[in-house]
Amino acid sequence: MNGVMLRGYRALIRCQPAMVRREYGAEMEELFIDQWTAARRRGRLPAFACWVRAMGDAARQIPREHWLVAGRYSREDSMHTLLSDLRFAIRSFSRQRGATLLVVLTLTLAVAANTGVFMLLDGLFLRPVPFRAPASLVYLNERAPKLNLEFTGINYPDFVAWRDHTHSFAAMGLFGVEDFTVADGASAERIHGAIVTWDVPAALGITPVLGRSFTQDDDRPKAAPVVMLGYGYWHSHFNGARDIIGRALRIGGTPYTIVGVLPTTAEFPGDVKLWTPLGGDPLQQYESYQMDGVARLKPGVTMRQAEADLLAAQEPIWRARDTAHVVSPRVMPLSEWVARDYSTAGQVLGLGVLVVLLTACANVGGALLARASFRKREMAIRTALGASARRIVRQMLTEALVLATVAGVLGTGLGWWGVRLLVLSFGDQVPGWVHLQFNLRLALFGGLIVAVITLLFGLIPAFEMRRESMRDAIGTGSQRSSTSRGERRTLDILVVAEIALAAILLVAGGLLARAYGNLRHVDPGFRINGVTEFSTALPASIYMDGVKERRLFETIVDRLAAIPGVTSAGAVSCAPLGCHWGKLYVAEGSVLKPGGENPIVLTRIASPDYFRTMGIRFVQGRAYVPGEERQLGALFPLVVNEEFARLHWPGAGSVIGRRVAYNGSAMNTWMTVIGVVKDARHYGLSEPMRPGVYLPMSILDSTASRQQFSFTVHSVGDPAALFPAIRAALRSLDPELPIIQLRTMQNALDASLAGRRTMMIVLASFAAIALVLATSGVYAVLSYVVGRRRREIGIRMALGAQRREVVRMVVVQGARLVGIGLVIGLPVALLSSRILGSLLVGVTSGDVVTYVAAMLVLGVTGLVAALAPARRAASVNPTTVLTEGS
Amino acid sequence: MSRHVFYILLSLAERDRHGSAIMRDVLALTDNQLKLWPVKLYGTLDELSHEGWIRALPTAPPEEIDAEGGHKKWFRITAAGRRALAREVAAMEGVVRTAQRRLVHTGESS
Repeated sequence: MNGVMLRGYRALIRCQPAMVRREYGAEMEELFIDQWTAARRRGRLPAFACWVRAMGDAARQIPREHWLVAGRYSREDSMHTLLSDLRFAIRSFSRQRGATLLVVLTLTLAVAANTGVFMLLDGLFLRPVPFRAPASLVYLNERAPKLNLEFTGINYPDFVAWRDHTHSFAAMGLFGVEDFTVADGASAERIHGAIVTWDVPAALGITPVLGRSFTQDDDRPKAAPVVMLGYGYWHSHFNGARDIIGRALRIGGTPYTIVGVLPTTAEFPGDVKLWTPLGGDPLQQYESYQMDGVARLKPGVTMRQAEADLLAAQEPIWRARDTAHVVSPRVMPLSEWVARDYSTAGQVLGLGVLVVLLTACANVGGALLARASFRKREMAIRTALGASARRIVRQMLTEALVLATVAGVLGTGLGWWGVRLLVLSFGDQVPGWVHLQFNLRLALFGGLIVAVITLLFGLIPAFEMRRESMRDAIGTGSQRSSTSRGERRTLDILVVAEIALAAILLVAGGLLARAYGNLRHVDPGFRINGVTEFSTALPASIYMDGVKERRLFETIVDRLAAIPGVTSAGAVSCAPLGCHWGKLYVAEGSVLKPGGENPIVLTRIASPDYFRTMGIRFVQGRAYVPGEERQLGALFPLVVNEEFARLHWPGAGSVIGRRVAYNGSAMNTWMTVIGVVKDARHYGLSEPMRPGVYLPMSILDSTASRQQFSFTVHSVGDPAALFPAIRAALRSLDPELPIIQLRTMQNALDASLAGRRTMMIVLASFAAIALVLATSGVYAVLSYVVGRRRREIGIRMALGAQRREVVRMVVVQGARLVGIGLVIGLPVALLSSRILGSLLVGVTSGDVVTYVAAMLVLGVTGLVAALAPARRAASVNPTTVLTEGS
Repeated sequence: MSRHVFYILLSLAERDRHGSAIMRDVLALTDNQLKLWPVKLYGTLDELSHEGWIRALPTAPPEEIDAEGGHKKWFRITAAGRRALAREVAAMEGVVRTAQRRLVHTGESS
């Protein structure tokens, strides 16, 4: 112990400036040992205290000494030296304009890629949850492995059981996103809101900026309706007026009392503009798995303990209601849930940018070495003229700082701009909680990169030179040629590495591009061209009656069909690309066992003309005709998709006439299959289809659905030209009917592919950067070699070598580097592109076309890069070179 | 002038000393209040030598050569150092005089 302490003290005082240490080091140590020995005689504790104080003394004093010593050397002219160093640096750069530009370009691209990805990762992963103590926030949901569902949503009575019978949570709440129609009599606006249980603000740690939060009484069934406004909405719609508390906001035809205003951070989840209480009934009879849960863990509680606690609380529910253990609670960190859709993208981006950074490092390292070797003479002369080592290091650092600062500022700007472009191309796919801003963290990150580059770029050549001069002093005879051979090898390795890294990125970018291209040619199973879609939602107070609701929808369809240019119009409860409504069914003669696996079925209510409007093809049977189900004694008709037929009746020929019913309903509500449609890519081109059914509109008669309903219109000519006519048709029916997401099917499809497109663009730009770097690396190393071997080439030519042979010699060298790089890079690419995983659709990670293309691109650009140095070599004039003094 | 500098100069104003002797003397002068730890002590001595207020002696004084402090570095205050110390003491005297006057005039009678 004592030995360790003594050694620690020695190590610390060795950090003093050399002059002080040489002069007084021994005495200092002796004095310390004297005191320490005296203290040890008094006991172990006094000895330790003495050591701690001595260490503290050294730690405080040493920086001061360095400061003073440095001051003694540069006090007289530090500012002057800095200025002259700067001037010298700029002069030397402007003399080698091309080389400097190349270095700055390289660094700028590397910095841009890194700041860009840093911004994305920062926005997506580092700060996705803008609440107090986010680490203790968790996301709650339920899962149903038997139904093949990772997330079922939470059933309100389950939540009540959890809230009442768990001990791991400080607070727990439910939330769900819903669209609300806010009307003022003349027009209606559809806005994003959330329904929450009263304890959500407490769980998230939110206090209102104005008014009050929800109380338990607000959250009872049939309580007086109240609303809290989002901060942004309060400003845009009420000018931030402080007297709005107590006023009413008409939502869906009902006046809601405004009780509070949420802080800016509470636009959770996503971009919501208002919160209303859920008003759930703990005794609700039906099951409705649709809410999300959020909770705050008590201090010290782990995720595992929380999950065990929830499972224990679920136990009574399994005993009483869910005896088959279909659903069970699950819990995960809130931040993980928020960024769940982005984890593959984040990994790919992170690794991709790492490869870019490595490529840039290899490139800069090469440039550095070449530059250092060219400047050896200059430095030797300056040393001979009396410049101190310190002065030369300073000069190198100043130069590096200039380069790094220029590259840092340009690169940070470029990265920021690139990400902005990217986000624009994402469109409304960007989740509302992502705020990509030029912030302090980004600035710090840029600064850090500049600092690292400065040190690498400035110190490495300085050390290189110092080693060099020491070797000179020792006087090894043949050091010149051996060093340059060593340098050559290092340069070769760096270029090979650049090629290999570029190959990895080219392959990854190529695979994504192929996957995207394939997706664009996937048959969605429904019509894209000439189709327009939009949704509306009914104010519940006016159309409480299901029959009235159905009639209104049918009237809307009739009005739409009457618009000139429209060939047909249809209504559907759940349009493709961005909607899901699942129910469970039983089928007569199904191969599925009762109580076993029973996948959830996508359920849609559609008007008879919907199939024709969307160009959905029937493989068996037909669509229902208007009103057929309402005729006396008729069978209730139902259309299923191929997947549904495959699931329940695999191998059966015709399934027309087979019967289907809701799971758990009485058997007298059989519906009869009258048609089978081709599977459509309802969840997006890359997603598999679920089993699905279509029900006729009269299903609405028995339910006041209050839900959003979609309409599709097929027309000849430009679909966007129909927009005004569609708006007018709806307004003429009821001015308070909101029009939600009026867009062409093509736009909807593009939006669903935006994420993939972005990933492809990002990786393609990474690949482009790496390609530029690798090409410039090949160019640089060959130029260097040609420059070094000018004499040798001259001699060869004097001895009769042809210019063609000289060109070939240089090009072959380039080809060798590229070849080795590819031999190493392509197998690594094959391994690493596996992480693209789910992003690759319709293409394997071993896609030959992509690899051949990457090889060709690198080969051709490598050869082009080799040509210029080769021609320079061929233009060497033997007589000039041989008569040059050496 | 910092406390460390003042007491080091004060210690050397009496006679030449080496580092650990200065430390012990300052400890005695300040009634055990100011302990100069090694790095601070030698760092300040180094600073003062560069300032020209003290100088390191080339050898230990003859009578000490064979004694315990024989192998140590000895320091002597310079004329400039004495002047600096004197200025500091004069300034302190001024402060002390002013303080005493004020204590007489404004003190509450107890």
